[in-house]
Amino acid sequence: MVGETRSPGLHSLMRLPFYLLALTVLFPYYWMVTSAFKPLGEITKAPPTLIVQDPTLKNFYNAKYAPGVSDQIQGLFQRFTGTGFLGFFANSFAITVFVTVASLIIASAAGYVLAKHKFPGSRIVFLLIIGSMMIPWQVTIIPNFLTMRDFGWINTYWALLIPGLAKAFAVFFLIQSIRGVPDELIDAARIDGAGEVRIWWQIVLPLVRPALAAMAIFVSLGEWNNFLWPLLVVNDDAHVTLPLALGRLAGSLTADPRAAGPIMAATLLASVPTLIFFLVFQRQFVSGITVGSLKG
Amino acid sequence: MRNDKMGLAASTVGGGVKVTLGSAQPSRRVRRSFTIPLLLLLPFMVLFAAFVLYPVINSLYLSFTNYNAISAPKLIGIANYTDLLQDPRFYKALGNTALFVVSVVVINTVLGLTLAVVFGGEGVWDQVMRAVFFLPSVAGGIAILAVWKWILNSEGYGILNAARGLFGLAPITWLGTPSLAIAMLVMVAVWGGMGGTMILFVAGLRAIPSELYEAAAIDGATPSQRFWKITLPLLRPTMLYIIITGTIGAFQVFNEPYLLFGGVSSVGGLLDSALTLVTYLYDRGFGRFQLGYASAVAWVLFIIVFALTLINLRLGEPEDRTSE
Repeated sequence: MVGETRSPGLHSLMRLPFYLLALTVLFPYYWMVTSAFKPLGEITKAPPTLIVQDPTLKNFYNAKYAPGVSDQIQGLFQRFTGTGFLGFFANSFAITVFVTVASLIIASAAGYVLAKHKFPGSRIVFLLIIGSMMIPWQVTIIPNFLTMRDFGWINTYWALLIPGLAKAFAVFFLIQSIRGVPDELIDAARIDGAGEVRIWWQIVLPLVRPALAAMAIFVSLGEWNNFLWPLLVVNDDAHVTLPLALGRLAGSLTADPRAAGPIMAATLLASVPTLIFFLVFQRQFVSGITVGSLKG
Repeated sequence: MRNDKMGLAASTVGGGVKVTLGSAQPSRRVRRSFTIPLLLLLPFMVLFAAFVLYPVINSLYLSFTNYNAISAPKLIGIANYTDLLQDPRFYKALGNTALFVVSVVVINTVLGLTLAVVFGGEGVWDQVMRAVFFLPSVAGGIAILAVWKWILNSEGYGILNAARGLFGLAPITWLGTPSLAIAMLVMVAVWGGMGGTMILFVAGLRAIPSELYEAAAIDGATPSQRFWKITLPLLRPTMLYIIITGTIGAFQVFNEPYLLFGGVSSVGGLLDSALTLVTYLYDRGFGRFQLGYASAVAWVLFIIVFALTLINLRLGEPEDRTSE
């Protein structure tokens, strides 16, 4: 127990319901993994098997698949024309990396100026940024959709890359951190002849690295899972992101439950990168998630 | 006042990051030349103006028009808003959303706090359990909603129905039974959200000085007295923060109803049983391209969220402290 570290914890019997709750948290993952390796006959067996009887990789790729032959499962990597599932993966990956890196560069530059410089209107800009965080982002989707249409950006990467760069919350968060950088350090650098760009890039950014890391996790997780915006601006196959592809696959589940195998294979592959990411950056992840919930 | 609240929250959750909003003034130094700093600020300001400020204003304007994405928008006064207030589907969406928000926020807060108290320790086992509950915050998103859809399959091979079968119960169409729709949404949202809430409460609990508990123990306070008289009052900022952000987030719910209940003809499930405000906005705006009307829905959403945030802040104000 926290707070009262010296007092004995809850009696283990009283913890039992919470262990059961933990099992229910894990269960969807278990079901995802096992379903991904079940052959066609087993996936629609009632009652379902808790342990895979006859594991198969056909849900990922079925070498023997031929169109028109019944009782054949079309592997995940065979289901889409064009770049296919790997293409969706690459789209999501590239978009996430670009938006995370670019939006943090832009936000940290703005954050530095707003934290360490006073100029006419700086207070208003700061208040506008805070104020915009109170507004549900759905308010902006219709005008932004229209902007994309007018720019001719529907079904292009521009629509997936550019509007996402305006991250007011990142600026707000970084302003808080950059204020903690001592003015003396910045003054000393100035006396040594460093320009503003160098102070921002070489003095300030290294000192706020934990905040940048937390923000990077938060932004990249949001981009990786972004669903509504791509849903609005993409309706061809070439620019489909992973969440969009998963959404379409999930939709087809209603019509054809036998597709569950390849769909679970897709969800499994989509979850692996975030899990690896989590294992590598555990500490930053917790702060990234918690700053994330700060977003209004 | 709001700044103070947010600063408080940020400092409890920011991990290694020191977050203070107390000194809201930018550094007092006045630079002779603004050119370079303004150039650094410029990229963000251009993007912010184009994709945040302008859309907010344009959205307000569109909400007073009959814009349908094809012919030029025509001002029609407050007709969209008066239509909205007579629209049964809007009330359905509002009622569903309100029920969803209240259920999710209450259950998540109670469960999150309970889990933080039970598994908040430093032991390896506690850390493992925290990671388990935190897992949906990491590997969640659309992928896991597809898994839920599979778990909730209406046939006998849906695992939840198979579990019912063990007790001799007939399969249920989990996502096609109107009286269950919101319960399903709440279940999935709590499953995904309680771990994040737990992490916030763990941070809040650790910020409480242990001397307080020691002093109370010396004075003979029972563990339950210590919980109600020390832990809970001191967790107030964390709790307020969780309730406010949880309310705002839950009001914007879209992915869950859209993916679990959305069908070919409707976004709200059978009899609109899972229609929420944002899925309704999506349906009007991008299903029927009534962009003016949908903008009015968006602004009503904004007003509700804003009002609830203010109410929460007011309710969360400690009675014994004068308002700053």
